[in-house]
Amino acid sequence: MLPTAEEAAQALRDIDLIKHRAAGFQDYRAESGQLILWGLAYLAGFSLSACFPRYLLGIWTAVVLAALAIGTWLAVRSGAGAGIVRRYLAVITTILSFIIAVHWVFWPISPEQGAMLAPLFLSALYVLRGIQLRPRYTVIGAALGILSLGGYLFLLPVFWPWMAMACGGTLILSGLWLRSH
Amino acid sequence: MQTPDEIIHQPVRLKIMAALNTLEARQWLEFVALRAIVQATDGNLGAHLTTLEAAGYVLVKKDFVGKKPRTRVCLSRSGREAFGRYVIALQAILEPGSLEPDHQQN
Repeated sequence: MLPTAEEAAQALRDIDLIKHRAAGFQDYRAESGQLILWGLAYLAGFSLSACFPRYLLGIWTAVVLAALAIGTWLAVRSGAGAGIVRRYLAVITTILSFIIAVHWVFWPISPEQGAMLAPLFLSALYVLRGIQLRPRYTVIGAALGILSLGGYLFLLPVFWPWMAMACGGTLILSGLWLRSH
Repeated sequence: MQTPDEIIHQPVRLKIMAALNTLEARQWLEFVALRAIVQATDGNLGAHLTTLEAAGYVLVKKDFVGKKPRTRVCLSRSGREAFGRYVIALQAILEPGSLEPDHQQN
């Protein structure tokens, strides 16, 4: 029997709803892996920075390159097509370019000031992404920004260990939170 | 006018097909993920997947990750084509004048 126009409209609305839900689910799943990865990278980077403050450039170059290599592998493995790898590399390149450019413009800056750039930029990106797309990103961005800024303003004597937990920990927990979606 | 596929035209099966249709060809979705998207119980989802599998619309793969059993689902080529035809049939119903008596007779 032919469905009525009302039933057909309802079926098409259901399809749209599921499309949206599936897209959100896949988006959160893909993002969760990257959040955990970069959270671990920040945890390692800030912990090593606390132990070896003279070798910040070497530490962060190694950490970023390792995370980038693993992140690219994760993007390839996601099976979401070649476009996703290109977009992933473009996003990371943009973030790194922004951080290098701000260092250049405002140099000289202290290591602590330099270490605030990536977390604050990421925080703003996630808040904006959450406002436009999915609400969980706003929570992640706000938590990252508040904890990082709080550490810089009030916990400077223990800045590096604090950032290992505040930045690395927040990203890891956020990744696990998205995975539970 | 083409009648929408009766196998797909059921709320849970429609959601399953719509969710799997968002994936690329030969991309598998885990049962637990599909359950979260469709928001159905294990038993209900399993029963409807069996119906869709019998119709050749979905492929079901069961394996182990370590010692943990895992079920994954994928839309078959004929399933993707059937879903495409189903959506076209629904859209045709909504087209102005499509439900007039002379159209229904054709």
